Amino acid sequence: MSRDSSPFRYTKWLALDLIRVQLALFAIVAVILPIAIYRIQSKFGAAPDPATVLTGTFMAGLTIATLMAIGGSIGSDLAGGFYRAWFSKPMAPAWYYFQRWFLAGVAVLLAPLMLGGMLALVLHNGSGLSVDLMVTVALGYLLIGSACLLLSNFTAKDWLVVFLLSFLQQRLADVVQQAAKSGFELPEWMVFVKKALPPFHLINPMKPALHGNELLHVLGYGTAMLIAALVIVQLRPLGSGGRA
Amino acid sequence: MIRFEGASKSYVSLVRRRRVDALADFTMVMQPGEVVGIAGPNGAGKSTLISLMLGFLHPTSGRVTVDGHAPRAYVESRGVGYLTELVNLPPRWKVPHTLERMAALSGVPASQRADRVQTMMTRLGLEEHAAKQVRQLSKGNLQRLGLGQALLGDFDIVVLDEPTHGLDPLWTQRFRDVVAELRRPDRLVVIASHNLDELEVLADRVAILNNGRLQRVVEHGSGSTGTATMAWRVTFEGTPDVVAIWPAALEIVGRPGTWRITASRASLSTGLASLLGGGAILVECSPETSRLESEFRAAVGS
Repeated sequence: MSRDSSPFRYTKWLALDLIRVQLALFAIVAVILPIAIYRIQSKFGAAPDPATVLTGTFMAGLTIATLMAIGGSIGSDLAGGFYRAWFSKPMAPAWYYFQRWFLAGVAVLLAPLMLGGMLALVLHNGSGLSVDLMVTVALGYLLIGSACLLLSNFTAKDWLVVFLLSFLQQRLADVVQQAAKSGFELPEWMVFVKKALPPFHLINPMKPALHGNELLHVLGYGTAMLIAALVIVQLRPLGSGGRA
Repeated sequence: MIRFEGASKSYVSLVRRRRVDALADFTMVMQPGEVVGIAGPNGAGKSTLISLMLGFLHPTSGRVTVDGHAPRAYVESRGVGYLTELVNLPPRWKVPHTLERMAALSGVPASQRADRVQTMMTRLGLEEHAAKQVRQLSKGNLQRLGLGQALLGDFDIVVLDEPTHGLDPLWTQRFRDVVAELRRPDRLVVIASHNLDELEVLADRVAILNNGRLQRVVEHGSGSTGTATMAWRVTFEGTPDVVAIWPAALEIVGRPGTWRITASRASLSTGLASLLGGGAILVECSPETSRLESEFRAAVGS
């Protein structure tokens, strides 16, 4: 039998899975939110700025959107035993999950475009989209999505761990910042933990896009976690027992 | 060719640090062109052996190679047709879409996928379930879907773990026909099963495992000689004088004409020839327990 050895032969299916679930959900939010704002606006007469709506939405929802898009990918396949069907076929786990990670990233990047488009359509006041916002969403996905994929090697509840880690790191960053302002000296371990954790606090859609060392920090950390996630899933034994 | 060289796999429990040897010092070579059975009681190490074969687990010691490569390297480049003991597929997928996806993953060219899927659905009687999701399938139908996804790729190695689990007698028989069709000189078929009758019929040789160790390999049609004594069940029409030939023969209560005879193959043949020569009519003659079953009982000590 002649074989289709194209590395993209399964990409269509992965994309369809994302379109049917995550992207559909993002689209529903993109439709409902501007309509809700329009109704509130017409009731109180205040004209909201689409850029404020957009950045505010992603300030609150970027982590959740990312976790919805990529959460539980490796861990669920391992726990559900699906890996036995997938990876008895000629397909490398690292490539399979890289495609899933990449497509989930595309879905997350489409979310602001859909919301911006709907805001423009409903509010007639521009889309509120900006390059800064798109760059921040992309960097946020690189950091949060890669952390999720990495942790997915160890648990199917990776999304919960990343959510808690992100919360912890951001609170820690606030404490460190406040302490620096007030001249209060924090224990060394606390500063070390804040530095060692992924720099989630740098992802802020309400601020201009990162640049300089902060940009490199996020890029470096996100890329390193992505590579680590893929190396681990490629080299680890996928089974944990005879039938598991 | 799959080569196991002293392959062992141990698990250590995290809490008690207790070590369990799931497979110990397993050495065997499985060649293209043969159907190899793996038999053993629950927990004997059959599924661990298959996981090592596919590279889903790494051996704690020893070596496993497939065509000279590490198992994962082989599987990622060539693929293996694999039916799992418990068929795990996403529950919301529809039956034909599941097969289409698995065909794509298996490397079936896009132009042939629809035909291949349709053929497989017909072959395994899944057409009537085309509108169903995986979660709506009965155990037997799920098993057939699992078999279908394993066979779509036309791979050189096919591994079937408890393949008739949940199948009704009709589909068990059809499954045997499907496996018979899988035979070809460049293909290795490995079947792990509790069902010794199935292995007796399908496999060229059967590796018997117990407590993670290879106890013996039983080759089809070899082994017992014509002089080894074993129990036979023989049924005649009418009432020939069986006791005259085999004084220890016992007629089975409630089944007139059916006898339990203990004899070697040679003496059974001579005795039967004598009875048939005297006008007796033979209805049926079969070993009371199959050779594989005898070997299995001896190997696992039951």
